[in-house]
Amino acid sequence: MTETPNYDDHFDAIVVGAGLAGSAAALTMAQEDLEVLLLERGASPGSKNVFGGTMFTPRVRDLVGEDFEDAPTERYLGRKQFSLLSPEDETSLSVRPSAWQDPPHNDTHMVLRGNFDEWFADQAVEAGATLITETTVTDVIREDEDGPIVGVETDRPDGAIRAPVVVLAEGGNSLVSEAAGLKEPDKRQEVAIGAKEVRKYDRETIEDRFGLGEKDGASHHYFGEGACGGAVGGGFIYTNKNTLAIGVAYSISDAVEDPRKPDELLDDFKQHPAVAPLVKGGRLVEYSAKAIPEGGASAVPDLAHDGAVIVGDAASLVLNNGIHLEGTNMAIESGYWAGKAVAEAAAAGQYDATALQAYPENLEDSFVMENLEHYDWFGDFAHDEKQFLFTELPKALTEAELEFFKQDREPKETHAKRAKNMVIRALGGWTGAAKRAWKYRKLLS
Amino acid sequence: MSTPKTPDVETPSIEDRLYTNKYTDHEESHLGVFEEQTCLDCETYDCVSVCPANVWRDEGDGDVPFIAYENCLECGSCRWACPYDNVIWENPPNGTGMTYRYG
Repeated sequence: MTETPNYDDHFDAIVVGAGLAGSAAALTMAQEDLEVLLLERGASPGSKNVFGGTMFTPRVRDLVGEDFEDAPTERYLGRKQFSLLSPEDETSLSVRPSAWQDPPHNDTHMVLRGNFDEWFADQAVEAGATLITETTVTDVIREDEDGPIVGVETDRPDGAIRAPVVVLAEGGNSLVSEAAGLKEPDKRQEVAIGAKEVRKYDRETIEDRFGLGEKDGASHHYFGEGACGGAVGGGFIYTNKNTLAIGVAYSISDAVEDPRKPDELLDDFKQHPAVAPLVKGGRLVEYSAKAIPEGGASAVPDLAHDGAVIVGDAASLVLNNGIHLEGTNMAIESGYWAGKAVAEAAAAGQYDATALQAYPENLEDSFVMENLEHYDWFGDFAHDEKQFLFTELPKALTEAELEFFKQDREPKETHAKRAKNMVIRALGGWTGAAKRAWKYRKLLS
Repeated sequence: MSTPKTPDVETPSIEDRLYTNKYTDHEESHLGVFEEQTCLDCETYDCVSVCPANVWRDEGDGDVPFIAYENCLECGSCRWACPYDNVIWENPPNGTGMTYRYG
């Protein structure tokens, strides 16, 4: 083993994890002239990260400026499709605004985390941060038993590294934060398991199948029994340049009830008649999984502690309200505000929770907590309504559509009336429909 | 009249799926259980049900599940799935375990 430099007490802050939240914090602090150590347990930044997905990039563009042109994005999001799947049928809505086709493309891009996170961590390094990979943080160091956090234990030789502030950006499987008593473990109803295949195709195959040009991409979101059984969750397809990300993500409390294991559920999703033509062929190049903290605002722990802050997935900063699926943007935003707060604390020479309060306060005023709080009701709502939302509704819609469009010698009016009655019946009659309309109104607010 | 057939899609086995991934063994399991008796008393094996990579295996003998740690995708789902908080989970050391190239 080569000689290990002594990092103890050499840095103003240690960041645990070079994912998006960690690198955003490291970059922000480095831009504020702090000495930052960025620790990553993987072989390179991004090598332990998994997501769908599309990334929303306003804060990234602010942070890196013109360098964003070199960011390794795959395709911009030009079209978004939502589908309800009964076991055999599909009802979908597709959105393709012309405005999204023009720069900056609604700041929404497909990325692969393997290369995007590496690039983003590089931005922090170029700004002055020190990145060390293949180093796992195993614990925090406290001054005394209940005292402030003053560093981290790692699996490097002479593994203890002390610094005034630790930024915990360790992801959803937040072993260090939990062991340090900084957060309670999430409940299993509030965590989703995602399983995903990345498959390689010819570019033309992807572009033809999804109706795309060279630079635009599509995201497909699938709900209902045909996607995830009766579970709260969904299936997805994202188009990259020459790969597709195909996966399912659903609540762990539902996953343990389904007789199928996640990989079997993924197989069934891929074989759905509406999905199979889009994903057939190709070559499997990676299989991955991730736990997604979806507990909403009520699951967000105290973010500032004496000598430490928690950011990104580790802080449960993920939004899933069925329509908006966001997390990487919240990770970056939280890393940014945490970095700013640490810089202020460093200037004042104070590192206790009070000195770091600017982070939770600014996050509270940002879209991150605004959105999480606005949709905090969704998780319980989806679990309460899952029989209707994921099983009964897709089936009723299919039956009503068949009736509505039926070709025979009866008048259209008769078909329309029958179709309407089918939907009303599925909604629980007029009273049920009125109650549901009231209950569901918040979905689009 | 027959409907047009849904095209065949590949449904690889867990082994074939894992074969595509880059993995570095760390020889000692990063997973375990705190109390064996808890597993012996458990009837649901939720760790087995939720695992996307067949790491946790119910061998049908009512014993502690067999742990094929080298299959682990490092999602952590077993930690939440276990109703008894009985899963020991440590991050694989020094860059070992899964290395995702796409992510």
